[in-house]
Amino acid sequence: MKKKLLSVVLSTTMLTAILAGCGSSQTTGTSETSTQAATTDAATETTSAAAEASSDTSASAASGSSATALAYKGEINMMHFSTSEESEGNGGSDGFRTMIQQWTDAHPDITLNQNVLANDEYKTQIATMASADDLPDVFLLQGMNTKAWAKQGLILDMTDIIKNSPYYSEYNQAYFTPFTDGDKLYALPALTGGTCTVVIYDKAAWKKAGFDSFPTSWDDVKKANDYFTKNGYDYSIAFGNGGQWQANSDFLSTLGDRYTGPDWFQSIINKGGAKFTDDKFVSALSFMQNIFKSGIFNKDFNDVTNEDAREYFISGDAPAFIGGNWDESYITSTLKSSNQDLYNNIGFAVLPQPSDATYDENSQNIGLGYGIAINAKVASDPDKLAACVDLAYKLTGPDFSNYVATNYALGGLTKIDNVDLSKFSQVEQDFYNWSYTDTTPCEIYDSYVDPAVWSVCNTELQSLLNGEGDAKTVAADIQKAYEENYLNK
Amino acid sequence: MLKAIKPKMSVVAAFLAVPVIWYIFSVFVPLAAALFYSFFEWKGGPDKTFTGIANYVKLIHDGTFWQAFGHNIFIVVVCIVGQVGIAFILVLMVNSRLTRLKGMHRTFGFFPSTISAVYIGLIWTMIFDYKRGIINYILIQTGHKDLTQVWLNNPALVLPFVSIPLVWQFIGYYMVILLSAIAAVDNEIFEVAELDGANAFQRAIYIVLPLIKNMLMVCITLCVAGNMKVFDHIYTMTEGGPGTASMVMALYGYKVSFEQSNMGYGSTISVAIFVVSLIVIQGSRKLVEFSMRNKGVE
Repeated sequence: MKKKLLSVVLSTTMLTAILAGCGSSQTTGTSETSTQAATTDAATETTSAAAEASSDTSASAASGSSATALAYKGEINMMHFSTSEESEGNGGSDGFRTMIQQWTDAHPDITLNQNVLANDEYKTQIATMASADDLPDVFLLQGMNTKAWAKQGLILDMTDIIKNSPYYSEYNQAYFTPFTDGDKLYALPALTGGTCTVVIYDKAAWKKAGFDSFPTSWDDVKKANDYFTKNGYDYSIAFGNGGQWQANSDFLSTLGDRYTGPDWFQSIINKGGAKFTDDKFVSALSFMQNIFKSGIFNKDFNDVTNEDAREYFISGDAPAFIGGNWDESYITSTLKSSNQDLYNNIGFAVLPQPSDATYDENSQNIGLGYGIAINAKVASDPDKLAACVDLAYKLTGPDFSNYVATNYALGGLTKIDNVDLSKFSQVEQDFYNWSYTDTTPCEIYDSYVDPAVWSVCNTELQSLLNGEGDAKTVAADIQKAYEENYLNK
Repeated sequence: MLKAIKPKMSVVAAFLAVPVIWYIFSVFVPLAAALFYSFFEWKGGPDKTFTGIANYVKLIHDGTFWQAFGHNIFIVVVCIVGQVGIAFILVLMVNSRLTRLKGMHRTFGFFPSTISAVYIGLIWTMIFDYKRGIINYILIQTGHKDLTQVWLNNPALVLPFVSIPLVWQFIGYYMVILLSAIAAVDNEIFEVAELDGANAFQRAIYIVLPLIKNMLMVCITLCVAGNMKVFDHIYTMTEGGPGTASMVMALYGYKVSFEQSNMGYGSTISVAIFVVSLIVIQGSRKLVEFSMRNKGVE
């Protein structure tokens, strides 16, 4: 009899254990992380803030944060991708983590369960959780998901929250566009505003080739390439498109703006009649195919990632590199400690202008790709919502902007007047001015529309750059994906 | 069995229920769920729109999916020849009377199968690398610089090249299975054949092959099933690129589901992978049986 009882108990326990795996993981941060096998241990950390914070509540006063008394006492689940590894050298990540620490220190009664993943895994997991209607309370929303997730009622309409923010007047309004659907706002743009397309070049090498600054036309780049290939280099510009998104984010998005102008892309976003098959966009694709065939880029550009390609610049194999602000911060911090000569010779430039392009030749795509969004379900608990909103204000407010401006010469959502750049090196000052004052901002394509469109675009672009197919076919395929996934929705 | 220690049927059933439920839960429920979702347009989240067989109609006209299917078939063929074929030859060599240190050969042969596919992918990416890869290094050192190229960026070569690590990794796996099959055969048969003057090749084709036919069939089935769902090596090495030149079905399903957030159509692709895999596995079994019909032992 006892055995029978035991067997029943054991079977029930096992069954419960199986079924428990299905249950919602909203209450614990740790169980969420354990489900993602691809996640490395190093990139995953779950912090129980209350435990750490209970010993020291004075930090909040010192930090000058908005330590408003919050009625909520309990847990908040949060997901982001500012891992401790990433925060070393990356101002946005460091600032983000610092603000979280200050906020948790100031609110010891609230347990902030953080699920921190590396960016690639983060994107997959957050999309999966959205599919299961199981998003964390607070998370980072990528611009291109805004409309779809808003339509599904997954994310909270933050229009009033944003307009009532104590820092509303200081926000850079342009950064909100990716997170806007109609006249509603769904996220507070987070992290640092950074370019996705910057030419980083070795001034000394280009001077030898006869250019005091980086050429403003591609014909001049080709001329320089003749010099470089005869003088010890294999090519002029290092680029990495192994992940397929780089050719879009770090090149086409700016190049397209040169051909189509900003209104065309606004029309794409607003379903205003613009098409990817429009001649001017096809011209941009054609030009891109030709310039990548011309031999000015490294031969393996489609095989290596941006992480590999920037090493070609760092090691001196390439006199220039095209990438985003994340590459810039890596290159400068590496060269600063390893090659002071090259570091001092770093220059920044916008993409050269194609001869048949007619729009702003000084444009570069810059913005905040992610925003802090709140799960729509949180609205049912006003106290919890107030706590989540307070956290969102803190992470995007003046504390954050001041921190990244004074420590890294970077800008965030909240505008800071009179940033004192004097303590930064010339290279850091140059990049700040280049990013925020000397160039014309344009949109980052994949902050908008729908991920399916860019998935098709990125895949086909890779073949196109290999010299296969033609721009018209690629444009037609992108347009088809646009119509199926966005225009007719 | 003594009645005293024989448990009641209900107890047996209760214990068996646990693995059965586990199996149903982890195999059939996801499959049924995928089948269910495949009839919806579902971009993730709570809203789903029932679209009937629209996703299946789309799938039939989806060039990328069928291209990926073709790639899977290519990889399956390469791997049957490469994995099972080479494993068979190696087994005959290891089993030879002349071979010493058989245990060591077995262990080291099996070793690559135990390594994570992601590491294998990364190791071979380094081998194929244009600048630092060993292939191009050897070509340059031997004076063939003109032959160097970006191996994984050549649409014509990328598929054979991503198959090489797959073959390399799993030879040992099939070697162990085939070794155990041969070990089960009475040794006297081989000795008699040798006395009768059969050479090594004849012994392999007319004696060993028919005797381990069933195990060979298991190997081929495992090989086909494994390669119809191949994912991680290719994801690590090329992500299906350049373009879709090395796209396989599982990777396409993953991209549609997670990169394009199109869960409904992603489910349709999963169901399709299941169906076409079953067809290919059955087909391959029939083909092997057909080709072996004249080789003696049934």
